[in-house]
Amino acid sequence: MVVEGEKIDQSREWVELNIGPQHPSTHGVLRLKVKLDGETVKDVEPIIGYLHRNAEKLCEMDYYCDSLIYFDRMDYVGAMNMELGYLEAAEKVLGIPPPERAQWIRVIMAELNRIAAHLVWAGAFGLDLGMLTPFFYCFIEREKVLKRFTAVSESRQQTNYMSIGGVYQDIDDQIIYDIEQFTEEFPAKLEDIFNTFVKNDIFISRNKGVGILEPEVAIDYGVTGPMLRASGVEYDVRKAEPYLVYDKLNFDIPVSYKKDNLARFLVRFEEMRQSIRIIKQAIKKIPDGPYFNPKAKKSLMIRLRGEGEAYARTESSKGEFGVYIVADGSVKPYRVHVRSPAMRNLAVLPHLAKDVMIADLFSISGTTDLVFGEVDR
Amino acid sequence: MVEIIEETKGKDGRRNLKVAKENLVELIKDLKSKGYDHLSLITGIDRKDRLEVVYHLHNMKENVYVVVRTETMDERMPSISSLYASANWEEREQYDMLGIVFEGHPNLKRMFLPESWVGHPLRKNYDLSKVQYVNMDEEGNDYATFDPGDGW
Repeated sequence: MVVEGEKIDQSREWVELNIGPQHPSTHGVLRLKVKLDGETVKDVEPIIGYLHRNAEKLCEMDYYCDSLIYFDRMDYVGAMNMELGYLEAAEKVLGIPPPERAQWIRVIMAELNRIAAHLVWAGAFGLDLGMLTPFFYCFIEREKVLKRFTAVSESRQQTNYMSIGGVYQDIDDQIIYDIEQFTEEFPAKLEDIFNTFVKNDIFISRNKGVGILEPEVAIDYGVTGPMLRASGVEYDVRKAEPYLVYDKLNFDIPVSYKKDNLARFLVRFEEMRQSIRIIKQAIKKIPDGPYFNPKAKKSLMIRLRGEGEAYARTESSKGEFGVYIVADGSVKPYRVHVRSPAMRNLAVLPHLAKDVMIADLFSISGTTDLVFGEVDR
Repeated sequence: MVEIIEETKGKDGRRNLKVAKENLVELIKDLKSKGYDHLSLITGIDRKDRLEVVYHLHNMKENVYVVVRTETMDERMPSISSLYASANWEEREQYDMLGIVFEGHPNLKRMFLPESWVGHPLRKNYDLSKVQYVNMDEEGNDYATFDPGDGW
């Protein structure tokens, strides 16, 4: 199985089309070199790196607590999940586990963020297919999540809320009430958004049976997250290797066996419903207690020394987000490497987009859920 | 049977296997046949006098992890892109960032940076004070230069 380099029939005439880096359908700065035979896509070569900031080098140059902001800016629509991924690894290296209450707060925030990230994806996916209306509905609901984030962290998107050994500040009853309110109101709104998509015949016919991804191919390419689950593999890091308090929560992993674009759409919507289920349980179970580990007081933070190495995996909205930290006993990490799920999901695009129509190329690249802050890092 | 130099347990509880560079492909082939079907991560680490490459392999069905570590003195490593499709991009990324040449890779180009970029940023001796500028030629391909030029 080869991603690039597979030869196309040279005797036929084909057109090479350059899409991007600035193009509304590429969700950021993706450049696609497409070889077209008429309207049929014969070969796609994704070219990335236009948003590359080398966060890994920046992490090596900073203290453990400072590196967190680079993770906020990776998946900028799912900042809480990125922070969580980094802290899971950094706390193992530093030996500072978060207290019980902080873990429950983190679960609530991560799940709220998963909803927000999936809503951005749904709105943008609608735009890819020429549907303008759901975009506004999705963003109205997302704004409600971001309002809760502003209340806890004083920032909308790049929250920088979680910190080493806990969270930045405690959540009070008002915030818990607000989040509860959201979980009460959101499911009905979600069904409205869902219906604007699935009651549209054009939407269904453009996605059903398009972009079939076989499970063996998906695993071979390292595809994870909703894309893998839409191919019929029941795999979720929250269940397979529970972190935080996910093993104390009751939720299902949505799986679809249809393997196409529509399956990926349905899996993501079902995930939002499951996230609401998790938040509702977590709000009821959240215990009292300290919200950060006293070993990681703010004044002591830059003196924290890491030892050994750790690879932590978390389930972000895109898939399995892994952070690998190698420490050498100093106040700065020796090497930080990030497993970007969106990059693996993009790598499978040349395989998915073989012999499809050019219009389907964008519905397929839409379902891979690309956020370029994370792909390029 | 592949000779394993050292077996340790990491801080995250994962099994670490250290092998010689020559035995790497054989070991990974062996692990793949045992059900390690998902290559999670390839990491290159610059240890100043040598380069270390770490492979995180995952068995999806049984949900077990194994970490394969190997070292190279001459910046060359055998490629495993024929075994895992995901290794293709990951090896390109490590080549881009650390300059590890994966022998037998079908398309070893830089992943993020332009082809004409000088140096590999994640090397410990990379000179950060030298600014390089990225520009675009007539065909739409990027190139890097030390000259600020008119565009800047």
